[in-house]
Amino acid sequence: MRIMLACALGMSTSLVVSKMIEAAKAQGKDDYKIWAVDESEVKLQLGEFDVLLLGPQVRHIQRKIKKIVGEDFPMDIIESVSYGTCNGAAVLKQAENLLGVK
Amino acid sequence: MSKLSEKFENGLLLVAEKVDENKYLTSVKNTFTVFMPFIIVGSFAVLFKSLISSPTTGLAKWLPGAAKLAPAFTAINTATLGIMTIPIIFLIAMYLAKFNKVPEYISGIVAVAAYISVVPSVVTVTIDKATGTAAGVPTAALGAQGLFVGMILSILVVQLFTGLTKIKRLKINMPASVPAGIATSFNTLLPILITLTVTAVIGGLFFNATGSYLNEWVYKAMQAPLEVIFQSPAGIIAIVIISQLFWFLGIHGGLVISPIRNPLIAAAIAANIAAVSAGGVATQAVTYGFWLNFIVAGGAGMILSLIIAIFIFSKREDHRMMAKIGLFPSLFGISEPIVFGLPLVLNPTFAIPFIFNSAISCGIALFATKIGFMANNTVDTPFGTPVILGAFIGHAWQGVVVQIICITVCVFTWMPFVLISNKQVKAVAVKE
Repeated sequence: MRIMLACALGMSTSLVVSKMIEAAKAQGKDDYKIWAVDESEVKLQLGEFDVLLLGPQVRHIQRKIKKIVGEDFPMDIIESVSYGTCNGAAVLKQAENLLGVK
Repeated sequence: MSKLSEKFENGLLLVAEKVDENKYLTSVKNTFTVFMPFIIVGSFAVLFKSLISSPTTGLAKWLPGAAKLAPAFTAINTATLGIMTIPIIFLIAMYLAKFNKVPEYISGIVAVAAYISVVPSVVTVTIDKATGTAAGVPTAALGAQGLFVGMILSILVVQLFTGLTKIKRLKINMPASVPAGIATSFNTLLPILITLTVTAVIGGLFFNATGSYLNEWVYKAMQAPLEVIFQSPAGIIAIVIISQLFWFLGIHGGLVISPIRNPLIAAAIAANIAAVSAGGVATQAVTYGFWLNFIVAGGAGMILSLIIAIFIFSKREDHRMMAKIGLFPSLFGISEPIVFGLPLVLNPTFAIPFIFNSAISCGIALFATKIGFMANNTVDTPFGTPVILGAFIGHAWQGVVVQIICITVCVFTWMPFVLISNKQVKAVAVKE
């Protein structure tokens, strides 16, 4: 499963990414690929990810990103409290739910 | 939430969305994001000059040979900040061309050529009290003073060029056997010719009618007044509060205002460096370094101060836990954990300090420069430089003192609200 996160510069989101990788490892999901990019790079990464999560601080660009991503890949805004508390497991769960993975 | 605040929220969200979707503003924003490292490198060259080659403050005091390096550091500064209008024009044109789906590199070159076609091609020189002219582009046209005319011209030129390339009759028909690359370069020939003719003729007519060049006029009529407003306490504080209003909604405020802010902070640092290099005093207070050190120290909204206030005054376990998570990122200016985790977003208890603390801190720092305690900076630091260190590099020990004062004052402006949030928990517990 390939999970990509996007925010303003990919900086604060990378904090969440490291926690998500930890959570995935702890759950024995070693084949997960999780990374963060600047929102302007989403277009270049099309096809590289299975699910896209946006940082809540760029939620105003949701519609624009939705247009780029289209219907093929699920996307969502990261639930803001799990984002703020860097709750890797919760964000990971959110991504899995989007893809219908259990 | 009441209807009014909901309307307000949706309104601001829409503004943020519109700014992001506007292709001109986005081109400007992306351009300055790409160019920012060059601005910082240019300003660091000034730092090296004073640390290494200056015979009064640098290594050259003890090692006279080091003074010979001065021209090299000056050259770095000239090559980045001193000519920044040219790469800025090129980048804006490229980004806009990407939106317009016309050839990017050609658009970039057309925009630079169009700009050169309207600026003076002679400079006035005075030798032995005799004044004459010599061939050359004046530094005023290449440096920060050309930024606004360059940005506007770049946008207009790409729009014109785009319109022209879409006219079928201007295309030169090539046999199908001609390679596509060659066909493209022939197809852009007439649009380039027309675009440059238009700009050169308008530039020439403008000079004949007014006696001043287009770049000089736009600088005087537009850029200089905007700089004055931006540097005035009322102007910068208004911008800071607007940025924080976006943050209050959980939207990256700095990102939304960056198309307006970034050209002006770039012009400010360039003006400071030019003034100091000429033996004068830096006059522009609000630079990128100032923004990072005194407006968003520890994260937009003075988040480090909130964390300290929570550690000292709060008995709420959830808040103390959050403060621990947020402390380390906050030292590097990243506020998101606290903003979304505490949360501060749409939290009425903390709304007042969250929206106004950055403005208070900004006011304190402006006051410190006004009374002459802290000099305006000539060295900008990149985002992510830790607090204290960033203040020291940019604004010397006086900057560190001012930053500590700002952070301390904001601890006390956060304090009453931290206490209120403690009472709220008790009230809930009693009810239950």
